[in-house]
Amino acid sequence: MSPRQVILEARALERRFVTARPLFREATVVHAVSGVDLAVEEGETFAIVGESGCGKSTLARVLTRLIPASGGSVRYAGRDLGGLKPAQIRALRREVQFIFQDPFSSLNPRMTVGALIEEPLRIHRIGTGPERRARVAQLLERVGLPAQAAGRYPHEFSGGQRQRIGIARALASGPKVVVGDEPVSALDVSIQAQVVNLLADLKREFGLTLVIIAHDLAVIRHMADRVAVMYLGQIVELAPAADLFEVPRHPYTEALVSAIPLPDPGARRARARVAGELPDPTAPPAGCRFHPRCPYAIGRCRTDAPQLSPRDAGGRQVACHRAEELALAGLGSVAAARSPAARKRFDLYRQARAAQAQTDQPPAEGGPIQQGD
Amino acid sequence: MSQPLLEVQDLAIRIRGTGRNLVDGVSFGVMPGETLCIVGESGCGKSLTALALMGLLASPPLEIAGGKALFQGQDLLGLTRAQFSRLRGDRLAMIFQEPMSALNPALRIGEQIAESVRRHRGASHRAARARALEMLEKVRIPAPETRLDEFPHQLSGGMRQRAMIAMALANDPALIVADEPTTALDVTIQAQILDLMRRLRDEAGTALIMITHDLGVVAEMADKVAVMYAGRVVETGTMAQVFGDPQHPYTIGLMSSMPAFGAGAGRLVTIPGMVPPISAMPPGCRFASRCPFRLPRCEAPPPLVQAGDHQAACWRAPLDALEVTA
Repeated sequence: MSPRQVILEARALERRFVTARPLFREATVVHAVSGVDLAVEEGETFAIVGESGCGKSTLARVLTRLIPASGGSVRYAGRDLGGLKPAQIRALRREVQFIFQDPFSSLNPRMTVGALIEEPLRIHRIGTGPERRARVAQLLERVGLPAQAAGRYPHEFSGGQRQRIGIARALASGPKVVVGDEPVSALDVSIQAQVVNLLADLKREFGLTLVIIAHDLAVIRHMADRVAVMYLGQIVELAPAADLFEVPRHPYTEALVSAIPLPDPGARRARARVAGELPDPTAPPAGCRFHPRCPYAIGRCRTDAPQLSPRDAGGRQVACHRAEELALAGLGSVAAARSPAARKRFDLYRQARAAQAQTDQPPAEGGPIQQGD
Repeated sequence: MSQPLLEVQDLAIRIRGTGRNLVDGVSFGVMPGETLCIVGESGCGKSLTALALMGLLASPPLEIAGGKALFQGQDLLGLTRAQFSRLRGDRLAMIFQEPMSALNPALRIGEQIAESVRRHRGASHRAARARALEMLEKVRIPAPETRLDEFPHQLSGGMRQRAMIAMALANDPALIVADEPTTALDVTIQAQILDLMRRLRDEAGTALIMITHDLGVVAEMADKVAVMYAGRVVETGTMAQVFGDPQHPYTIGLMSSMPAFGAGAGRLVTIPGMVPPISAMPPGCRFASRCPFRLPRCEAPPPLVQAGDHQAACWRAPLDALEVTA
């Protein structure tokens, strides 16, 4: 892999949340993001994974300056986002956009879809009125929705279509970086596949850098070039996606990978390699934060917090004292041998889909707009 | 061959006063000790089917429009409310997706489990509490004596799901209906709960109907599979049959849509469009509008027929060629 330009960079990034102080007691402090270093390269798809409460959504919001950092720095294209004034933050939004998990709660229900997609263009004073409306129609078509959708309201659309609207709005100002917080998690499998393909196409077409936050590892494995695994506010492993899943180097990554139920009866069973649950984030364990659940923990892990190692030749980084000596299980040879009958059916289906796309003029890929849904 | 524990025949559910059925002609059987997974996407009718079996359908506006569900010889669809409440939590138990909404927030965990034991078995307070403790130990809740006297909100999501499983199993039911029991959980916790359900099911020989959208969970748990689309069963067979020789275009499309490990990058093969709303549901095959294999014949509803070694509801089954050669 050739070294690419770093477009978004975090150094020793911190974000703390302080609860309102109860009478006579100390306020509780949650270290949602705790000393994160990462560098997103131009043109790549960078994924941040982890379970609920690991701080991945907070990290995404700090990276895009939706919320300020409590410590450390974020640099976009070499510029520190820390000291930006409101007007400068607005200008940043033109280049760094966000897609939310549930577009329904992020789209103003009183605005038409056309106005919603046009809004970023108006804010950034891009184009004249007619130019902007033409651009909206173009964007709608590009995300697989009919042009009439512009006159409708968000509630008239299904979940998958709303996500397409969210994507069109994010793309309107011509951003360089798009950060998606669980952009396909709430969608059904068949709709999810459509949106995953759409994001891949748009990324290529518009030369985007994607940062994807997700908990679904199968989707991540498919979409991402590199993956950062988070646990209790820290990155425990960062590696090219294929390597990470094939041969994890952090025990927590191993636990995540082995817990995935694979849709193949011949494959290995999902195994719960870690006992217990995420500890209280207001009082993270001393030493390595994962040690109370780690099956490989030794004395040192209880007292000594491991640091994320520098990038090795394969571009991998891991924060584990025992990374060198452990041989952890990944998906390895899971490349499941499907039965010949199943393979034949999948081939048939692929051919039929290709033929379908050529011959008939199907309605927009996103499906028709449903009245009064 | 022994008798099926549950036999559902031609189940139909609709909104009162409307024509099209939300669940339409659904049939399946569950043998004692067997696990059936009903898999499908939002709106396919899998949860409605589960609720109908438990007598929990919101009626009105929903109503049973036809069919039978014979459970140990008794038709569940004809039971009165009182008969249902004697059965539920006893021989027939349910596990929900979101335990917080299924557990009583004002009752301690121990009391909730004990109440069901007292009610169905006439056990004494002391015996019921002992049973509650035994169940919490069985589902491996740490410090069970303490947890017994805690309220649901004091437990994490995973622990609440364990408590609900303890409650469901307290009276040794013959059949458990679990509606997306691990969907709301993180993947490592999900693996723990699936482990637990497998172990308890095998120990007690309990039959299980598991409702899920996740083909991964199906591969982990199922003996038999029923794939549902828009209110109908489109394909059914043993797990090995459905995964090894998928026949219905929807099943194949659904499997193709999943990003598979090992397959690597490249575009996913998708199912175009989306499920039509019930008011616009075609009278024939409900998948026809999205199906790349459709024929003029698909305007008539396809029956569930033998396809390969199991059954599919498709005019093209067994699906062997791109073009029809007959």
